[in-house]
Amino acid sequence: MWSRAFAGIVPGFLLSAGLVGLFTWALPGPWQGTIVPGIIAFFVVWIAVMAASFQFANGKRAWAWLCGLAVLSLGALWLLQWLRWIE
Amino acid sequence: MKISSATLRTFTTLHTWVGLVAGFALFVAFYAGAITIFHHELQAWQSPHGVDHAPQSLTDAQRLLDETLARHPEARKHVGMVFPGGEYPIASTYWQDAKGQWRFATLDHLDGIDEMPGGTLSELVNALHYSLGIPVAGTYLMGIVSLLYGLALVSGVIIHLPKLAEDLFALRPGRNLKRMWQDAHNVIGVLSLPMHVMFAVTGAMLCLVFVVMMALNPLIYRGQLMQALGPAMDTAPAVAPANREQAIGSLAMWSERSIQVAHERGIAAFEPAYLKLANAGDANAVVEITGQSPRSLGPLGAVALNANTGVALSAQLPGERDANHATLAAAYALHFGEYGNTWVRWLYFVLGLGGAFLFYSGNLLWIESRRKRRQAEQGAAQWWMARATVGVCIGVCVAISVAFIATQLLQMPALRDAIDLGVGVNLACFATWALCAVWAALRPPVRAAQELLWTAAVTTMAIPFAHGIATGAWWWRSAASGHWDLFAIDAGAIAMAIGFAWLAFATARRARDGERNSVWTDPRALAASVRSSSAPTAPAIAVRPDTPSSD
Repeated sequence: MWSRAFAGIVPGFLLSAGLVGLFTWALPGPWQGTIVPGIIAFFVVWIAVMAASFQFANGKRAWAWLCGLAVLSLGALWLLQWLRWIE
Repeated sequence: MKISSATLRTFTTLHTWVGLVAGFALFVAFYAGAITIFHHELQAWQSPHGVDHAPQSLTDAQRLLDETLARHPEARKHVGMVFPGGEYPIASTYWQDAKGQWRFATLDHLDGIDEMPGGTLSELVNALHYSLGIPVAGTYLMGIVSLLYGLALVSGVIIHLPKLAEDLFALRPGRNLKRMWQDAHNVIGVLSLPMHVMFAVTGAMLCLVFVVMMALNPLIYRGQLMQALGPAMDTAPAVAPANREQAIGSLAMWSERSIQVAHERGIAAFEPAYLKLANAGDANAVVEITGQSPRSLGPLGAVALNANTGVALSAQLPGERDANHATLAAAYALHFGEYGNTWVRWLYFVLGLGGAFLFYSGNLLWIESRRKRRQAEQGAAQWWMARATVGVCIGVCVAISVAFIATQLLQMPALRDAIDLGVGVNLACFATWALCAVWAALRPPVRAAQELLWTAAVTTMAIPFAHGIATGAWWWRSAASGHWDLFAIDAGAIAMAIGFAWLAFATARRARDGERNSVWTDPRALAASVRSSSAPTAPAIAVRPDTPSSD
């Protein structure tokens, strides 16, 4: 239980950041226009990710999956920002 | 809906633990929060002016603003001001001094004071709501509690989903107390779910927004969040002083212009509530007037003007806000119940008390589902859970009522100079709370529960009397002179006192007639029944086969 909980808290935080970042930056208009909706959405997404992390069979899997998805989502966000495809 | 038993087990455990960890803090947050809905009314109630005091006029407010700017040069850079009116009967100004400390002024205190005038009680109740009264760390603690609350809601819904429809309207009173508490817990939880989801999200945001912004800044905003925040959030553009002197306009002109600008942009009603003035006395003076537009979600809108000429600079009004202002205004309005009319706020009050019940009943369910049915001896964990629930939850109700009484009595002429009001009221509140907790720790829980419920009933009933004695504003006088805000608080206290007395009776009934073998059984009654049980009697309780608990 604890291991899965911490997976939801730590890599889950990064994954939630990646998901919210991808979504708010991909919306039309400058990113500055979605700061508040993005931060409110972040809390919803993070709570959902924390709850979902208890669905993994064990802590090891939870950490592996959430870390992988966090790297993937933040990597995609940073790549798109660097390429200036989203801004 | 079918959910695997492993999932149900996981989320039941999760629900139990986050509920236990966050439940006490949430009880306090909801009970104090329900009262905080009437924040502005409380400010009027606690001021000794009572019913005879007429609200200040715009002329009074103008004099206050002029004096503040003349006496306090730092206020010329940035000063805030509350318009006198229905919500705040007394105009006040506020600014930061050279050391960054907030200072406040009213016509009675033109040299400035360190605390918001007339806010002792309402600030205390508000602080209990958002930080349990703990300085600095309390706010972050409540942010974490809000996140746990979110998890409790998700897990509660998941474990409840399979039988949602059939359980929703089933309130099964009767001998099986645990079933009845479970039904009450479920029905309140499900029916007020949208409100709870909203509070969990906006509560987490209000408490943790700065921490989360710091963390998200490098992750998703490329380190540019802090520079972007000002321009994105302020209505008035940030303007540097021109270093050319120019006389500023008047409150009357700004008020009139802001209403006019709102009208031009299709807003029928705009009531100025407060303003922020920058660069006063300079050619580039800017004033931002925030006002209420009733009948909109997120009723607060703002108009920015050149403070000298009244030329409109920008506006964020209902219906034409950008996404940042629209979501923030909606989040604030939803959390504080500041949309719609008085009925919405009474609904929030009732739902807030319902929420407090939800967490209280959660603790009772935990105790009830671990009850040893066949022996009088109960586990230590159950005893301490019962004691903590009684001491913290009923204790805070007593403590808040005592703070109300202390606020009135300490402002009476005889006591006014004896002790600082803020210190006295806070001391009364937290000392009472601590005493209640100690009392609950020393007594059998069922006795402590009754004693503290009676204390809550008596102290709450004393609130309107303290108000009447200290200010002469007895509730019938308030009603007769149309001061419904004062009347509502006194009448509300009487209603709550009756509620506490009813709960005390119900607890006594449980101790006497309820199922035996529980922390809620009166030890004296138990001893009496053991003495009389030499005669063979049928078992008093039909013991049910234990159903899998879903607390």
